[in-house]
Amino acid sequence: MKIYVEKAAFTRRQFFKGAGVLLISAVITGVLSKIGLDALAISDDYVEKRAAGLYQLDESMTIRRSHENPEILRLYQDFLSPGQVSPLSEKSEHLLHTRYGKDIPHLIEEMKKSEAAA
Amino acid sequence: MNLATYSNGIIHVTKSCKACDHCSSVCPTGAIHGRLGQRHRIDPLKCINCGQCLINCPFHAITDTSMVDPVKRALKDPNFKVVVQEAPAVRVALGEEFGLTPGTNVKGKMHAALRKLGFYRVYDTEFAADLTIMEEGTELIHRIFKAGGVPGYENSGPLPQFTSCCPAWIKYAEDNCPAILPNLSTAKSPQQMFGAVAKTYAAQQLGIDPANMIVVSVMPCTAKKYECDRPEFIASGYKDVDYVITTRELAQMIKDAGIDFLNLPDEQADSLIGSSTGAATIFGVTGGVMEAALRTAYEVLSGEKLGKVDFQAVRGLKPVREASVDIPVKTLGKTMKVNVCVVTGTKYVAPVIKDVLAGVSKYHFIEVMNCPGGCINGGGQPIRREMA
Amino acid sequence: MSEIKGKVLKHSGQTRTMHWLHLLTFTVLTVTGIGFYFHLDFISNIFGGAASASVVHRWAGVLFTIGPTLYILANFERFSRFVDTITTFTGDDFNWLKTMGGYIPFLKGEVPPQDKYNAGQKLLGLLIIFGCLLVIITGFPMWLLRHDVAPAFLAFCYTIHLWTAVILVLAIGGHFFLAAIHPKSRVEFWSMMVDGYVDAEVTAHHNAKWFSQLKSM
Repeated sequence: MKIYVEKAAFTRRQFFKGAGVLLISAVITGVLSKIGLDALAISDDYVEKRAAGLYQLDESMTIRRSHENPEILRLYQDFLSPGQVSPLSEKSEHLLHTRYGKDIPHLIEEMKKSEAAA
Repeated sequence: MNLATYSNGIIHVTKSCKACDHCSSVCPTGAIHGRLGQRHRIDPLKCINCGQCLINCPFHAITDTSMVDPVKRALKDPNFKVVVQEAPAVRVALGEEFGLTPGTNVKGKMHAALRKLGFYRVYDTEFAADLTIMEEGTELIHRIFKAGGVPGYENSGPLPQFTSCCPAWIKYAEDNCPAILPNLSTAKSPQQMFGAVAKTYAAQQLGIDPANMIVVSVMPCTAKKYECDRPEFIASGYKDVDYVITTRELAQMIKDAGIDFLNLPDEQADSLIGSSTGAATIFGVTGGVMEAALRTAYEVLSGEKLGKVDFQAVRGLKPVREASVDIPVKTLGKTMKVNVCVVTGTKYVAPVIKDVLAGVSKYHFIEVMNCPGGCINGGGQPIRREMA
Repeated sequence: MSEIKGKVLKHSGQTRTMHWLHLLTFTVLTVTGIGFYFHLDFISNIFGGAASASVVHRWAGVLFTIGPTLYILANFERFSRFVDTITTFTGDDFNWLKTMGGYIPFLKGEVPPQDKYNAGQKLLGLLIIFGCLLVIITGFPMWLLRHDVAPAFLAFCYTIHLWTAVILVLAIGGHFFLAAIHPKSRVEFWSMMVDGYVDAEVTAHHNAKWFSQLKSM
């Protein structure tokens, strides 16, 4: 029976086309890698920008120190430590300080007791 | 034992999860269960509610529980006076939900929008940030005096002192290393200090019954939702902070109300407990609490004024940074070298804690923020997906 | 027309082996992918659940990649000849496409003589080469770099991977239909799936231009 078989010839054109496909594949892979690396590089630019925004806002403010905030001073003098600015006063301890972990149930009890007493 | 564990936690993976497994790499506590290909799920006991998984999910498949509905109802209810506070980090990100670039300062428009939404008083968490510096800074000074053998400070806590404004960090410490809890500052976070002061001092000054005051806070953070529900935050006699909404949720509320945000005029916060300083403003970035504390600690301890208030050494985005500041201490008649450490990203805190527990830490003061970069990159902030 | 006798050797042993490997791995990839991606537990459970289906999917992907890579390296000449054929389009090819070779019921017309592969097969060949490239180069980052890449890029990979896979599955569906079911084309089934030979009479009719080259060799 007659069997027809292709001749195993390798023309220049075929070589360039085969190599061309491999080259295009490498290029596509390279393009995807570049996209990935670019995405990674700018993926947290926004954090720096937001930080810069806050620091710029800080620089633009007239008062830049917490202990110079007039409303804070008034809060202490009128309410937290009458007549003076005294952090860690009894009222401050009650309103502005807390405890953690296993000390919390006791703290809640204390607060409820002083509520009941008041 | 986890006292403040609520039924389901704040953060949930939805059915849209594509099981890509990216989130497990950003979770600081390994609270996310699931292998590649298998829909993931969050363990509410291990979760510290930070929302990093939420803002990093490529498919927006993670949500946080919302308190927007009760806030809207309270705003409509004539019986309630609803006051609002907003964190520093919100004002440089809120604009992004309206097309502005990250970092654009929309503080004035934010206040204006909140007034338009119907809040009775629009205050500012920055006021309470200054309050935190006063309380926590003084606490640090007392601990330093105690460590230095100054008589009268024996009841103060141990050094180094850790900051305590980040509720994700607090839960992390309570869940994973309770031995470090004595080192945490006893100061509440600015959010919670605000609530306690609002329902006592402000209610008095405004002449309103605190039982009818609702305190809402706008936060860049999902863990703050967990924080406001913690059972111990009732110092005012009421729930100090009633509801928390995120930057994203506020933007949605503004859009729902049809407010033309971009064309709002700048408005200031209400006075009484609404004014802020530069020190308070930088609370939202990693190193900011430290810098604010140093500005005050330096001037209070030395009795001198700082020429420049910038402490560049504590700035930056590296996960663990350290600095040394020479502070002349008037009452001791000598100059102290104060060693500080700033940690951004809970996954980097373990070695720092290890040194403290082993008694070999060289630091006096350590700032810990769970979110890489600080609150500006919190779980409640606008989600960025730039590719180029 | 005189009866044409004899057989044509159309596909070598290596080609057939690679085709089988690719066929089987593609099937596993499709089934597992659909199972765990669309949360179809009745499919995932065949493999022991979604996570296991994902593991099978990844390793099938490895074979899916290695097979053709080795084939191309070991048969670069044959591969290049194939690429040459599928990238050469003449008027005969465009005219074939106008009637889709007569395979579509309502599109009738004269079918011009074709090369070793007809115009439709040439397009399919190109689609498969570049489609497989895309699923492979997006697939590996989705597995090995899933913790390291930017979330936006990971989502981008998923989108490309999914849509390329959809297109490939549809194309392979058509390919399978013509290769195994349609009476006019399934006559070549044996040549790729078993022994490599097509009846010369079939080749003379379906791939006339190639056959005339073979006759003159």
